[in-house]
Amino acid sequence: MTAPAVSASISFERVWKKFRTGEMHDSLRDLIPAIGRRLFKRSPDPIRRREGEFWALRDVSFDVQPGEVLGIIGGNGAGKSTALKILTKILRPTAGQASVRGRIGALIEISAGFHQDLTGRENVFLQGSIMGMPVALIRRKFDEIVEFAGLEKFIDTPVKRYSSGMNARLGFAIAAHLDPEVLIIDEVLAVGDFRFQDKAFGRIRDMSRSGIPVVLVSHQLDRVATLCTKALLLHQGQVMCQGPVAECIDAYLSGGTSLSAPSHPDSPIVLGAIRILQGETLQWGQQADLELEAVIPGRNREAFDSIGLRFRALEGSREVFMTSTRFADIRLPDHGKVRVLVSIRMCLPAGTYSMEPFAWRPGEDTIIATGPISTCHVGRAHSTLNRGIVDLEPRLAVSTLSDGAAPE
Amino acid sequence: MHRIGLWASLVEAVTEIWQSRELLGQLASRDIRIRYKQAVMGFGWAILMPILIVGAGLVVRMVLSQSAGVASDAVSLGAMAAKGVGWAFFAGALGFATASLTSNMALVSKIYFPREVLPLSAVAAQGFDTLIGSAALAIVLPFLGVRATPALLWIPVLALTLLVLTAASALFLSCANLFYRDVKYIVQLLLTFGIFFTPVLIDPVMLGEQGAKLIMLNPVAPILEGLRIVLQEGQGLLQPLVETTRSGVEVVVWQPWYLLYSMVWAFGGLLGSILLFHRLEFVFAEYL
Repeated sequence: MTAPAVSASISFERVWKKFRTGEMHDSLRDLIPAIGRRLFKRSPDPIRRREGEFWALRDVSFDVQPGEVLGIIGGNGAGKSTALKILTKILRPTAGQASVRGRIGALIEISAGFHQDLTGRENVFLQGSIMGMPVALIRRKFDEIVEFAGLEKFIDTPVKRYSSGMNARLGFAIAAHLDPEVLIIDEVLAVGDFRFQDKAFGRIRDMSRSGIPVVLVSHQLDRVATLCTKALLLHQGQVMCQGPVAECIDAYLSGGTSLSAPSHPDSPIVLGAIRILQGETLQWGQQADLELEAVIPGRNREAFDSIGLRFRALEGSREVFMTSTRFADIRLPDHGKVRVLVSIRMCLPAGTYSMEPFAWRPGEDTIIATGPISTCHVGRAHSTLNRGIVDLEPRLAVSTLSDGAAPE
Repeated sequence: MHRIGLWASLVEAVTEIWQSRELLGQLASRDIRIRYKQAVMGFGWAILMPILIVGAGLVVRMVLSQSAGVASDAVSLGAMAAKGVGWAFFAGALGFATASLTSNMALVSKIYFPREVLPLSAVAAQGFDTLIGSAALAIVLPFLGVRATPALLWIPVLALTLLVLTAASALFLSCANLFYRDVKYIVQLLLTFGIFFTPVLIDPVMLGEQGAKLIMLNPVAPILEGLRIVLQEGQGLLQPLVETTRSGVEVVVWQPWYLLYSMVWAFGGLLGSILLFHRLEFVFAEYL
């Protein structure tokens, strides 16, 4: 069925994974009476045994070829970690085939093998070995690892005196110096301070660009968008979307709230999704009109005083822009269906953003209700060289201050 | 669960263990470093256990020589110390190995590596202590009257059998303790009282005709008794040995097949426990 692969590759073919959630007999003290009961009663009530089953993965298939980076996204409990644990052979699938060709480098729980009483140096060798590095290779890369972690001064200090950031940096540095043929990464980009995060991200990008297959799980959607060549969206163990990264991220962001419980029927306000009249994709500098509809049933009218909208960058946490009827000093009607029109000039740098409507409690910046999330793409037509959360519309000039002779 | 043949499964397991020998060394060195890093006694730990056992043995022998009239001389003390080192290895290794999977929970549930290395590295770390103890013993034994005879060549065979038996038990018990968490308490209990069912402090001859045979059912017993015979009697293990109690009863304390019996337990047990462990290790992460 599969083409013969010469080089490293990852494949998942119709993988199912079942867990038992019910209580298990984990001591002989429990087991022996249970066996006794079973011998005498003959029927160990089969219903109770079956209730604790739970499918963490349901018919999941994908493959990753050299040079491809697959991003697996999805909410908590979607099955992402289970998929990675199957790839790294920690778990075996209940049904289906998972195969990984090539030496696996797993950036998962990068400091799990650390022993607190040992020094950084001893732990580098220990953790490296646990991850499958030959001791000779660790010895060769030792200085590089320590330098990458920035821990030259503390390498002979017991790890128990490290800060959590130092711990994570050392763990990442070891993992990043494995020489893998296949790379599997689980949410390790969020370690250390921002400087280290950038360094870690750069390292992963270099590894993925070297042409090895990579699978990445992350909640930092902007990282997924930059790094991945394709994506897979999981929800409750099932594949919801598979293919281009932008498509999966859209599906994830817009699916987020509709998949969760709908707003409470007694909610003082029901907010609809934000719509861009010019279409989902805008160019930098473009004027755009955003439309937001809301229903105010009139009950509990004093619960809110204003409605607004906010833009978030992809990682889903960084708010980049927010406005509300309060800023415009508009009083909302007491009941009925209302339509809010917001005219903006799009000055955000190119990328994908999520838009979310919300309602504010009177006089406070406390959100009492939110509506469905929709997405907005900002094209790359202008502003391609600027990066960051906002575009400050820079104008650059360089002038020569001296003739170039080195200062004394 | 993958259905592959027993033989293929065994080959796979052994290959994986062999490929992880460096990891085994690193884990063992971790255990050793931690044990000695903060210990007041330092390397004294390694010889403390055998010394305690010899001390306990002296008391037992004194009592016995009062009542049953068994002689105790310097050579038999030396042999008892050697048995003490052997027993300390077996008991210590199993004590650490049984909990090795559950105490490394974070590793087992997060990172893949052949899980066999955890109990095996516990055995290896204990082996390091035993080497120090043995070196100390090798210096002392000649002064206690142990002569250099060709029979001493049996010691490597006995040591290997003990090592294999310990490794087999370590694999089996660590696995059992993962599924049933109270196994470690049972093991502690058995190891505490096991010294009374193993000829460490006593010699089989003291147990009488039936007792000398019965105690050999314990697979550790022939190994330790063999050690005593080569050190104390200077006799090879291919011939039976009959000893006489002071009251004149002749007791067969050694038959050549006693050692074979232990070896069957050790090597058979090792094969069985590797297979069992390897078949089950893929569900370990789900039971932690």
